[in-house]
This record gives sequence, C-alpha cells and structure tokens, in this order.
Amino acid sequence: MFFNGFLDFSNFLSLFFFNGWSFLETSSTCHGINSQIIWFSTLNSSTMVARTVDLRSDTVTKPTETMRAAMATAEVDDDVLGADPTAFRLESEVAKITGKEAGLFVSSGTMGNLISVLVHCDIRGSEVILGDNSHIHIYENGGISTIGGVHPRPVKNNEDGTMDIDSIEVAIRDPRGELVFPTTKLICLENSHANSGGRCLSAEYTDRVGELAKKHGLKLHIDGARIFNASVALGVPVQRLVQAADSVSVCLSKGLGAPVGSVIVGSKSFITKARRLRKTLGGGMRQVGFICAAAFVALKENVEKLDGDHKKAKELAEGLNQIKGLKVDIAAVETNIIYVDIVEGSKITAEKLYKNLEEHGVLVMPKGLSRMRIVLHHQISSSDVHYTLSCFQQAFSGMHQENGSYSISTSRDVSYS
Amino acid sequence: MFFNGFLDFSNFLSLFFFNGWSFLETSSTCHGINSQIIWFSTLNSSTMVARTVDLRSDTVTKPTETMRAAMATAEVDDDVLGADPTAFRLESEVAKITGKEAGLFVSSGTMGNLISVLVHCDIRGSEVILGDNSHIHIYENGGISTIGGVHPRPVKNNEDGTMDIDSIEVAIRDPRGELVFPTTKLICLENSHAKCLSAEYTDRVGELAKKHGLKLHIDGARIFNASVALGVPVQRLVQAADSVSVCLSKGLGAPVGSVIVGSKSFITKARRLRKTLGGGMRQVGFICAAAFVALKENVEKLDGDHKKAKELAEGLNQIKGLKVDIAAVETNIIYVDIVEGSKITAEKLYKNLEEHGVLVMPKGLSRMRIVLHHQISSSDVHYTLSCFQQAFSGMHQENGSYSISTSRDVSYS
Repeated sequence: MFFNGFLDFSNFLSLFFFNGWSFLETSSTCHGINSQIIWFSTLNSSTMVARTVDLRSDTVTKPTETMRAAMATAEVDDDVLGADPTAFRLESEVAKITGKEAGLFVSSGTMGNLISVLVHCDIRGSEVILGDNSHIHIYENGGISTIGGVHPRPVKNNEDGTMDIDSIEVAIRDPRGELVFPTTKLICLENSHANSGGRCLSAEYTDRVGELAKKHGLKLHIDGARIFNASVALGVPVQRLVQAADSVSVCLSKGLGAPVGSVIVGSKSFITKARRLRKTLGGGMRQVGFICAAAFVALKENVEKLDGDHKKAKELAEGLNQIKGLKVDIAAVETNIIYVDIVEGSKITAEKLYKNLEEHGVLVMPKGLSRMRIVLHHQISSSDVHYTLSCFQQAFSGMHQENGSYSISTSRDVSYS
Repeated sequence: MFFNGFLDFSNFLSLFFFNGWSFLETSSTCHGINSQIIWFSTLNSSTMVARTVDLRSDTVTKPTETMRAAMATAEVDDDVLGADPTAFRLESEVAKITGKEAGLFVSSGTMGNLISVLVHCDIRGSEVILGDNSHIHIYENGGISTIGGVHPRPVKNNEDGTMDIDSIEVAIRDPRGELVFPTTKLICLENSHAKCLSAEYTDRVGELAKKHGLKLHIDGARIFNASVALGVPVQRLVQAADSVSVCLSKGLGAPVGSVIVGSKSFITKARRLRKTLGGGMRQVGFICAAAFVALKENVEKLDGDHKKAKELAEGLNQIKGLKVDIAAVETNIIYVDIVEGSKITAEKLYKNLEEHGVLVMPKGLSRMRIVLHHQISSSDVHYTLSCFQQAFSGMHQENGSYSISTSRDVSYS
C-alpha cells in the first residue's frame, strides 16, 4: 500500500531509523500519509549512511541468534485454555529471581503496571500515590484513570528518583475524611527511575516506603522495568531490592533485549486476579511461548552484559560533558541512561544538532527544548560510543567553524572500527 | 516450583490436556495449588493415553514448521518507537483482503473488539447495540463497560446469529430522550457466530447504522470460516462495516493475535488505545510473521474443517442419546445436546471421553461444543466418533437395556 516499485523494505527500515525521533514528536504517525510525507522529505534532503547508532532507547534491541533459535523450537500450548509450558517456565523463573510466589507474562511494561495498579486498587474510588515524574504518571496515557478509574496522587520526585517519605505520608488520605476523599490503596515506586536518568532506589529506601505502606494498610508496587540495571549498578540482588514490594513489573524487552514483554510478580492470589484482568484488557495470548522463549534467553544471557552498558554510559557521559556547549551531570549517570543538556547561549540549536547527528546515523531522544536522552544497551559497542562522541564533537566544532569564533578544544577520537 | 523429580514437562503438558475442560469450570486455576490438586487426582484415577484429539477450540492449533521458520528469520524492529516491518506487512495484507484502509495487529480478539468498541464509542455516555449471545457480551469479561465505560444494549440473537433488523432499530436510542438515555454510537455484529451472516444481511444492518449516524463493527474472529462457507470474499462480507476484528490464532492456526482494520483515522486512534491498554509490543514481527504464514497457507484448509465438522455432526446425530442440529453446522463448530432421559450423564460422558483423549467444551448442563481445525485429521474424526459410540454403548451394556444401534468405526490410523 505504501510501497513504490523503487523502494524495498530495507530502505524503508533505514528511513524509519532516520525519522525515529520525528515519530515521537508527531503523534501516531507510524503509518499512514504522514509517514509518506516524512519519507519523501528525508529522501530529498539527507544522505544515506552506512552506520546507525540508535541511542533512543534500550527497547530497540534486536533479538540475538540464540533467541531466534529458542523461539523456533519453543514448546507451546494455548495459554488461555490451559497453560503454555514455556510461559510458565519464564513466569516461575522471574518469580524465583524476585522472591515472589508467582508470575504472569504480559505484552508490555505498560500492561504490567496497569494490571498491577488495577488489581491492588480494586474498590471504586481508589487512589494511588506515585512520583510526579514517574513512567506510570507521564508515559502510560493516564490509563490507570481512563481505563481503570483509579485516581492518581502524584508526589514530587527528587532528582534521585525518590519521593520524600514525609511527603508520601502526607499524601495518604485520612479515612476520617472519606466523605470527600478517595481511598488510598497503593504506593508505586520506580526502580531504576527513568526520568531522573536511570537513578537507583536503594533497598533501604524501598524498605522504608514498604514500612510506611504497611503502617497504613497500603500495598506497594514497584515499576521495575529496569530493576536489573538497578540491581547490577547497586550490587544488590533483585530479590533484596524488591523485598518490601507486594508486586513488581519487570521488563524483558529493554536492556535485557527480548523482543517483547514483561513479567509481573506477586502473591498467588494477586497473580490469579492479574490473569483475569489481563484477559479483560485483551492480553490473553494463545501460543505465547514463542516470545517467552526469547525472554527466557534474555534473562539467562543478558543480565551480565548490563554492567558493560553502565560503563559505556559513564564513558560517553564524560566525553560529552567535555564538549563546550553540552552539560552532563556525571554523578547522575548510575545505569545506562544519560541526560544531556545543551548549554544556554551555545551556538548550536537543538534542532540543528539532532539533524546533524541523524545525518551521521546517530539517534537520540529529545526531551524538551534543550535536553536529550541517550540510552545504552548491549548492542551498542565501544566503537559505537567513540563514533557517537566524535559525531557530537564534529557537530559542535563544525558549527564553531561556520561561525568562526571558537578554536577546537575537544580531542577528536575518530576511530570507526 | 511446581515440579517434582518424577514429573517432566511432557507429562505436565498431557495432564493439562486431560484437565483442559476442568480449567474452564474452575476459574483461573491454570497455575498454583489448584492445578497441583487436579494433577494429583488425575494421576490416580485415569490411564495415560497415547492419542489426544483436542476439540475444545480452534485456538489450540499449534504453529506449523513454516510458521516456526518464518518466526526464526523475521525482520523486526521496535513497533512502538517506529514501525516493525513485518507487523506492517501483515497489517497491510489484512487491510487489503478486507478492503479497508489500514490495519493494526493486536494480541487477541478480545483486545481487537475492546479497542474497536472504545474507539467508536468515544464520548462519555456511549452505548453499543450487540447480540445478547455475542462473544463481546458473554466472553469478554464485560470489558467494554468495566474498562471502557461503554453501556451495552443487548438485542436478542436468533438461532442463525442474526438480530432482527426491527429489533435493532427499536434499540437505537431516540436523541430526544437524551436526558435519560445514553447515546447509541455503534452496532456490533459477529460473523461467524457458529452460523454465518450473509453479505446482504450485513449490508442491511450497515444501512440502518448509516441512517441513524452509527458505526458498524464486525467481530470477524472467524470471518474466513464464514467467507469459505458462504463462498463470498471477505471483502464483500465486511463491506458495510467501519471496522472488523479478524483472528489469526483460531482456525488459521497462528500462535497469537488478531488484526483490526478500518479507516486510517480509526487505526490511528486504535494504535493509541492499544498502547494505553498495554498492547504496544516492541519487536512484535516474530508473531506477525507466523500470522502472515497462517493467512497465506491456511485459509484453503478451512473448507476441509467444515467438511469434517459436517461428517462428525452427522455421525454424532445418529447416536441414540445425542442430538445435533445438522443444518446449523455451517462452519467448523458443532453443538451437541445430550438428549433428556438419556442413560448417560454429561459428567460421565466427558470423563469417558477424556480417558480416551477426546476433549470437548461443555456449554451448560447437557450441551457441549466441538470445534474442528486443520490439525484434526479425518482419522481423528473417526476416532472421536467411535469414542462417543463406545461411551454410549458401554453405558448401555452396563445398564443392559439397549442393543447397539450405531455402526462401529474403529480405524486408528
């Protein structure tokens, strides 16, 4: 439908890479007439590059050969009418790793959080306390409310991803005010905390929030999309990190590199209710073992690669911070996420920078007018990191040369191996 | 966690087959302590059988070798941040087949229907007209209401799956009563609904919808079955519809998923709602690749399923104690009633069948549903028939009151 004679799929794919971030800026234009317009304009105005370094997210990871092999030979069955054995194996494994009674495979982290919130907040008029800069509150279409009828009570996230314990406590509704209040049922934490730059919550902090929840008869859910990153960065086992939580949502499709899915874990009764709600949302898949097989491989093979991602992130962050015109809070780079600010008064605009980077195949995710996010994952090599750094450096020195006002103050590492 | 030393996965799997229908009777016991109890009781009380004929649903179809190969080599990408090329290819193909502008891959038919209803019923206080015996109304957890806030207005389904046009029209809310009425936004049909809706009937409902400014959605989970049975192209069958939900994971045999189709603007909104529900999957092309194979290879097998269903239905109807409305068997689904006063109880019959590896789906006290699919062979059909026959004649012999009136076909190849 959208393909002309002279365009084949691989070109189409590269152009989507080109336009990656544009798709985020213009909502819902993954298909349809808008994508055709973007494609045509790109074809006219940019050069094809052989190299792409996709730093937009760790969700872009492509499945490995072992994953493909596992998928091709997976043992499957109807997971709705009975139980898919591979799904069950994955769910049991994640439950074991997190120290919870049972697990449930779901198609995305969004579904994992949505189901968890809705199961805990099971009475009409429920309220959930969560960070004002949390993924659930910002990037999940407000689904807990629009789909689930649950009211959010956002509490300020500190720069390190925590919320002050006192602020959480103050936000808990006093039952004596029930005539005008909703009923607080749940507190949600996010570990690692994406919007603060992949910052990690300590086991001790999590335990304190858990105690507060217990004291007030509330449940605690952890959005653990990147819990393995936090675990590796802190050197603390996942089970210890989530000990205080009643439920956790764990992504396999991010840094661990699986093609699809998350697993939510909790008590057996929680999972039983979650399964039913998953069906209601339409997430009950039949021979789902195929994607669970890939996720199982991710769990077995890729946790050990996360440390490498963190090291590369640190290295890239330090390099970027040395570029005049950019600023990175190095201490905030704890895992695989870097936030980069374009310094005010810098001679390059954000728009020009992104375009320049794109032309060299480097994709980042804009976050506001002068800020961008970079995410490392196991399919970004050291040489990709060096290439990225040199692209940034060239972008700035190129601009400087155009304006004729700066000497080049950063070293140039232009290794392309 | 649930596995003891002497039990391996294949045994576990067979026992799940054994207990298939039990899982439906006891809600949500797929895992956990209940399944252990069921497993132990089965181990003690039944014999292991080498043959299983799973007639519970066409969703049990296992992926074929070509599907596995396609999955292993699929070209994939992040379908949320951009577009997975294999997903796009599948969506475009289904859109083309159905004659609609665009498509969207979703994880299940339930999600396909839920999204469609919610996109059409986009204002607060929306109402949807649908059959009182439709899948959306009976088997989707009431999600359009509990999740979507949409009010259902069920209209009586006739035995042939239709609703009387007059009854639908009467159910449409008069805007002059808006102070106390919700606002009708949508009519839903289901094709096939065991029986097939004709293109002409669908067109009439479409005209009614247009006349009143409503949309028409077709739950086309088994639309290909209807198309093959009627000899009418899918595109013609769904011409009047604004949106259709098409299952790939049923008779077409894909492991997972459905595709919804509609206008470009409908699909744009559907994509967003799919994300909200948590159905935005990343490198989803793997399962789309299998679904694409299903579309290409298995539509032509549906006619064979229909023929086998007819054959099995006729055989079952000849068993004294069973009744099947043969004329109602238009596609791959058979409803079988245990005749009142029959000397065998439903429970005994199901147990007997299970012990021989034949799984059916109970539907009420004395009714069962049997669904054929391309992984049920002719010999499976004969085997099933003989199991039923044996069950009844066995009972007869126990009671000593009947002579055997049905022929015995016991071929096991």
